[in-house]
Amino acid sequence: MSDRLRAVSGQVIAVGVALLLGAIIILLVGESPVRVLMTLLRGAFGDQEKIAGTLLQTTPILICGVAACIGLRGGMFNVGIEGQLFLGGFAAAWVGFTFSLPAGIHTLAALSLAVVAGAAWVAIPAYFRARYNTNEVVSTILSNYIAILLTSYFTIFLFKRPGGWSETPPILATAYLPEIFSFSRLNWGLAIGLLLAVGVALVFRYTSWGYGVTMVGSAPKFAEYGGVNVKRQGFIVLLLSGAVGGLAGGVETLGVHHRFMEGFAPGFGFDGLIAALLANGSPVATIVTALFFGALRSGSLLLEVDTSASREIITVIQALIILSVSAQVLVRRRGDSQAGERRWKF
Amino acid sequence: MAVELTGITKRFGAFIANDGIDLAVRRGEIHAIIGENGAGKTTLMNVLFGLLQPDEGSIRLNGETIMVADPAAAIKAGLGMVHQHFKLVPSLSVADNVFLGMEIRRHGLIDHAAQIARTRELSKRFGLHVDPAERVGLLSVGIEQRIEILKVLVRGARTIILDEPTAVLTPQESRELFQTLRSFVAEGMTVIFISHHLEEVMEVSDTVTVLRNGRKVATRPTAELSKDELVRMMVGREVSFDRRPRAQLHGDAVLEVKNLWSRDDRRLPAVRGASFTVRAGEVVGIAGVAGNGQTELAEVLSGLRPASHGEAWLKGQDLTTLSPAAIREAGLAHVPGDRMVRGVDRNASIAANTLMGRQHRAPWSRGGMLDWKAIAGNAGALIKSFDIRAQGSGDPVKRLSGGNIQKVVLAREFTNGADFLLIDQPTRGVDIGAQEAIHDEIMRQRAAGRAILLISVQLDELAALADRILVMFNGRIMGEVAGDDADEDRIGMMMAGVSPELEPAR
Repeated sequence: MSDRLRAVSGQVIAVGVALLLGAIIILLVGESPVRVLMTLLRGAFGDQEKIAGTLLQTTPILICGVAACIGLRGGMFNVGIEGQLFLGGFAAAWVGFTFSLPAGIHTLAALSLAVVAGAAWVAIPAYFRARYNTNEVVSTILSNYIAILLTSYFTIFLFKRPGGWSETPPILATAYLPEIFSFSRLNWGLAIGLLLAVGVALVFRYTSWGYGVTMVGSAPKFAEYGGVNVKRQGFIVLLLSGAVGGLAGGVETLGVHHRFMEGFAPGFGFDGLIAALLANGSPVATIVTALFFGALRSGSLLLEVDTSASREIITVIQALIILSVSAQVLVRRRGDSQAGERRWKF
Repeated sequence: MAVELTGITKRFGAFIANDGIDLAVRRGEIHAIIGENGAGKTTLMNVLFGLLQPDEGSIRLNGETIMVADPAAAIKAGLGMVHQHFKLVPSLSVADNVFLGMEIRRHGLIDHAAQIARTRELSKRFGLHVDPAERVGLLSVGIEQRIEILKVLVRGARTIILDEPTAVLTPQESRELFQTLRSFVAEGMTVIFISHHLEEVMEVSDTVTVLRNGRKVATRPTAELSKDELVRMMVGREVSFDRRPRAQLHGDAVLEVKNLWSRDDRRLPAVRGASFTVRAGEVVGIAGVAGNGQTELAEVLSGLRPASHGEAWLKGQDLTTLSPAAIREAGLAHVPGDRMVRGVDRNASIAANTLMGRQHRAPWSRGGMLDWKAIAGNAGALIKSFDIRAQGSGDPVKRLSGGNIQKVVLAREFTNGADFLLIDQPTRGVDIGAQEAIHDEIMRQRAAGRAILLISVQLDELAALADRILVMFNGRIMGEVAGDDADEDRIGMMMAGVSPELEPAR
């Protein structure tokens, strides 16, 4: 228990240090850190619409975060969630505007194809990892570019809405993920994300399969010795991670945009990965960290209106968080370099 | 004297890695430091090279007492060290690597031609056969080692320390390395080399220093020593023949190994045609100096390493065709030699560690769902019956002492109902009290009719427990001794590679 406490306090200190450095940078650009913070808070939680807006931003980050957690648990670094999200988003949209099905079933079908698309996309790097021990970090990062440009190609050349922007035709209303409130585009995707986070945590904790995967991630040679097929589990874990990444895209398409647009969800995949790392790979803790990043995103919308700071300051703060979280994990794991290197092996 | 170490003591917490070691190396000799893994060889050399600071003792180089604060000071004093793990830049050429950090400059730019010429000259002089212009990333491990040697040479070393240089080499490459070492001493340089291989020590060194458990056993001229004397010094003279009662009756053959071959990580044959049988209710010991194929044999039998040839039958199934999981199903329990890496997940709880290998079995798992209450209850019972000193089954394993971690492994493996127990170095790094308890437990398992293969580098342990002892040397089983007849001379001869049939006394 004290280990967990130490881990949590470490992450909190890391975020604190990052915010402090961010404050200094805000000072350097001649703005008051307090004012920026208040604006961020107001922008993120000022009234019920703003809160809903924050939760709307949180949803894809959370689902992507859960995707990353699945990989991390089995010792796999899926940095390709962004690409899986784009393909999943496109796949869901395609089902949405191509077929006409009863409400509910249509949504389910679209989400299913999104899941399949994400899994299929990560299957390529996952296969190379299992077969040739290729570093999955590199291959999944690179697969992002192909995925994103592929969806652009589909959108612009194959399925472009006549006369419109770089976007597909709108999906049928039968495929929508319903909105929760009348005043916001916040939809049931959030519930999917929350259920998924809790469900994944339970699977890892309470199933025999989850136990084996956890051991592959934390002590691969021990797992191998105990009869767990390390390569196969690594492959499966990446596949599942990609499937959830695809689902994130489907949820975003069916819940928010109701069509696929080129560059429709920039950076959610990476934010999710960071949220998962900040949560130390725990899906439940990712709910909190995803909310944090969601709040930063939606709060930053007010930033340029009310202060002289640019929204880009949020990106700077995120980068600082990544740096300080990496640093503290390295410090904490100094006595345990094997696990440390495995988890932070860029 | 090129190097004189006096009373070197180095502690890591409560562990004493070097305990008052004196070492004198004459100028112009090849001085081997030999000892088992963990005897303190590398620590001693790291102290000499300034990588570690001794807690006590002094260092004299060429008659002068000096403080070796860091490797830079050691290099300045004419020392050079070739480590086990090479530190080279794969994208640079050989010559660039050799001169990295001390580049030859001309008009402020690196003079590649001069670097290449100088590297070529050195390489030729000492028979190293390295192409200075080649990129390091394209070269073999053997050549990489030569580059490390060149690095040491251009920095002006007169005394060269090599840490287990042959561990990564093929026999052919080893022979070439020895040629090079001889050419060093021919030029008046001094070589200190660490090894646990008797053969090469006998072949190449002028003087041998034997370390055991952090202490110096002896320094002797190599010519005065025989291999079995060396073995005895390495593994310990005071073999205590505190023998346990032998097995009364043996059952059927449980494990039958037939002409088994396997390769090590360098792709060289490590197990060469091993054949033996282990029957129910007996302990068969495997003796040998570490690194003679025992590890690889254990890995093949547990499915962690492929066999290149041969069979190993466990109750009607050939283990060489099965996965680790299937071998466990077939009836193997395995106490691995590398306990911290293979045997446990240090960060997980005792309960989670006792689950490994049975996470798909009732009552711990039903329909794919784990019953943590049952698992923790079972772990609690194991803590009691194996006398594991811990607060509870939720304790992470890393909080336990080495002996108690080993008891966690034994508790898990001995209670999984397997008929064949593969036990590798059960008491390495374990305190005396726990050793006794572990030996008692192994005897209980034998009494329960299990077939036990006990691999150990400690002769006294084998003599105490094993009904029969097989001696492994260079991947082969040299011979067999009944546990009751185990004496260090006969086993020592075989451990040194002398086959019992050639022994004049017999």
